[in-house]
Amino acid sequence: MAANKLNLKDKYRLLTRDLDWEFSYQERKKAFPFEEFEGIKITDWSKWEDPFRLTMDAYWKYQAEKEKKLYAIFDAFAQNNSQLNVTDPRYINAIKLFLTAVSPLEYQAFQGFAHTGRQFGGVGARVACQMQSIDELRHVQTQIHAMSHYNKFFDGFQDWSHMHDRVWYLSVPKSFFDDARSAGPFEYLVAISFSFEYVLTNLLFVPFMSGAAYNGDMATVTFGFSAQSDEARHMTLGLEVIKFLLEQHEDNVPLVQKWIDKWFWRGAQLLSIVGMMMDYMLPNKVMSWKEAWGVYFEEAGGALFKDLARYGIRMPKYVEQVQTEHMSHQLWWTMYTHGHATGFHTWIPTDEEMDWLSEKYPETFDKYYRPRWELAKQMEAEGNRFYTKALPQLCTTCQIPMLFTEVDDPTQLSFRDTVYHGERYHFCSDGCRDIFHEEPEKYVQSWLPVHQIFQGNCGGPGVEQVLSEYYGMNLGADNLDIKGSPDEQRWNRWKGVA
Amino acid sequence: MSYEVTIEPTGDVIEVDEGQTILDAALRQGVWLPFACGHGTCATCKVQVLEGEADIGNASPFALMDVERDEGKVLACCAMPQSDLVIEADIDVDPDFAGYPVVDFVGTLTEVRDLSPTIKGFWFELDRELEFQAGQYVNLRIPGVEGSRAFSIANKPSDSRTLELHVRKVPGGAGTTWLHEQLQVGQTLEISGPYGQFFVRKSDEQDAIFIAGGSGLSSPQSMILDLLEEGDRRQLYLFQGARNLAELYNRELFEGLERNYPNFHYIPALNDPLPEDHWQGFTGFVHEAAMARFDNRFSGHKAYLCGPPPMIDAAITALMQGRLFERDIHMERFFTAADGSEESTRSALFKRI
Repeated sequence: MAANKLNLKDKYRLLTRDLDWEFSYQERKKAFPFEEFEGIKITDWSKWEDPFRLTMDAYWKYQAEKEKKLYAIFDAFAQNNSQLNVTDPRYINAIKLFLTAVSPLEYQAFQGFAHTGRQFGGVGARVACQMQSIDELRHVQTQIHAMSHYNKFFDGFQDWSHMHDRVWYLSVPKSFFDDARSAGPFEYLVAISFSFEYVLTNLLFVPFMSGAAYNGDMATVTFGFSAQSDEARHMTLGLEVIKFLLEQHEDNVPLVQKWIDKWFWRGAQLLSIVGMMMDYMLPNKVMSWKEAWGVYFEEAGGALFKDLARYGIRMPKYVEQVQTEHMSHQLWWTMYTHGHATGFHTWIPTDEEMDWLSEKYPETFDKYYRPRWELAKQMEAEGNRFYTKALPQLCTTCQIPMLFTEVDDPTQLSFRDTVYHGERYHFCSDGCRDIFHEEPEKYVQSWLPVHQIFQGNCGGPGVEQVLSEYYGMNLGADNLDIKGSPDEQRWNRWKGVA
Repeated sequence: MSYEVTIEPTGDVIEVDEGQTILDAALRQGVWLPFACGHGTCATCKVQVLEGEADIGNASPFALMDVERDEGKVLACCAMPQSDLVIEADIDVDPDFAGYPVVDFVGTLTEVRDLSPTIKGFWFELDRELEFQAGQYVNLRIPGVEGSRAFSIANKPSDSRTLELHVRKVPGGAGTTWLHEQLQVGQTLEISGPYGQFFVRKSDEQDAIFIAGGSGLSSPQSMILDLLEEGDRRQLYLFQGARNLAELYNRELFEGLERNYPNFHYIPALNDPLPEDHWQGFTGFVHEAAMARFDNRFSGHKAYLCGPPPMIDAAITALMQGRLFERDIHMERFFTAADGSEESTRSALFKRI
């Protein structure tokens, strides 16, 4: 055999393990106080297998080249006035939603991995988290840069991070990550690295990136590809985390299962935003939300959970309660009827789009949802474009308005509630109620935007002041129907229409 | 048209069809390479081409960058060979792998005998010494059958001029039917080997569990004979599964070994014994026999599995639920043409399982 040269594994081991040190005057346990806090048992950190072998010098080299490529494309995009090449101005609203709902999560992920990585006694896990933390910071920056071009031409992009922290529907993604980051370090990894990055990430990125490609948005497609080239590390970290925890001690199995159940359900509810984007916001459709769920969760997830069954892990609880048949319609209807309070525009689907929805949802669209849109159309034609006067009731756990229906009855809104220390709390589903029951002291602290408005913590007294002064929306420009909006008027002027 | 791709540092050789990706061919031929997205965007499957030409396919420019293209890197999930290739992948060589070179032999059949109603034993005299690790296999060229057929070596490595193979007649299988019905004593066959990553990890001192089904007894038989001959003192457990008593072959051999070697334990299991078998031993599947013997606790062992895919699958689940994991489970799946028909999506959770 040829002379032994160090293989990548040994090289990487030498480059990372030696970053660790022994504690001479302090107890190791005190240095890593959260490691046992959740009940997870780690018997041997040396069994951690590095999910990727990338050293810092190689990392900077790779990332620098990616950036050069990416920014060259951003420049070309800007110089060509490529905002004019998107299908129609409705598409831009999907990007507004991405910037306000998703990009801040990349920043939260950066913070989360930096904090979590610190908590592990094993140096391999620490280095992996550090690397992902830097990746996430790169992602948020490239996304801001990509979308800043649209900010010059369209409304609603001006103060995305401020809005992320305050706007009622953006508390859904924000509270998702707040929940993960305020959990223990192992739950954070199961929540974000495994449940989100590995199991559900394709349902977020592929629809947005393909949606961008189908609608002429080269800048978004490109930051998507650039980010995807980092995602591999994140996905393999998610897999290693789950294997490592399950193999370290059998007492970890029920804890991991509980977290998978929780974070799968939280993730599925959160992704209803993507479903709405795919089914209603993209002028050129890629596939329906139901189809995407079939490809990216049922097929890919099915294979994964078949393998996980060997560890005694079963499919996430509530998987049969995910209502891919209904959620996108119900959510877009809610956004449409609250369109005066959204930081993006809403609209009634066109006749062609409704036919597409009938074809994709043959059992349900014509029966339950088309009649609503026909009514909305009629009201609009009569000069009464409908905006609800009420503020929605929110689920204490996922913070989504109570807009989803019962699994067995799409005409009945799903409500659950429970009383804790004399207070009644409301939930959208069994899943969200059970999550509350596991950690009531955590969720009683939920910052529910509608409650906060009523308590007077968001300015006011009227909704208009909340929207303009507290949220920072430009009323009449950022919100309301796309019809007659400044976005639409400018677009028509650029295109020489009317 | 297909190309031969050699994967360093293990030296595994795979056949890649025209238009097929390296990753697809490798996974289908039981060779694990790191991968994640499977469509050229993530770069987990990046490999270095050492010799030959490959089409990089639809690799994303962010996953496979220009400098890397210049250096001859490709993504295995979308690269297609344009010639025979040697590639270097981020995989580990097992320290127990001896790496004996593959050699071509001529084997002369000296004996053929029914081992069970469906399995025959074949003994060949080789024209030169075969150096191999117990558990590895050889490829046979069978007249009139395209390609080669793989069979595990059942004799121990010290018998280096003979080759013992156990062959189950696969219904409708051209190769095994020819061996069973046509091959005569005195005839010669072209043989090459040794191949495979199935061998005893002797540097690991944990006790060893062998689980064998049908003609999958061959490799464990070789491994156990080899260990006992070397005077190995670890505890060795052989679980042999068969449908009924007539299919349970070489039982006398292992009962004899059990009498002579206190560290060897033989546990046969019949899953469908006939009334006339008057079977007193374990009734049930072979993995159930192992679960019963170890009370569902397998940690602290090495496990070696050999047999048909459903048996391997059931055994892996039993072992993992008994807290023995991938790093301690080694296996050789006996695929037949019928097994290949049920393709399913693979998750990236396990490397070899």
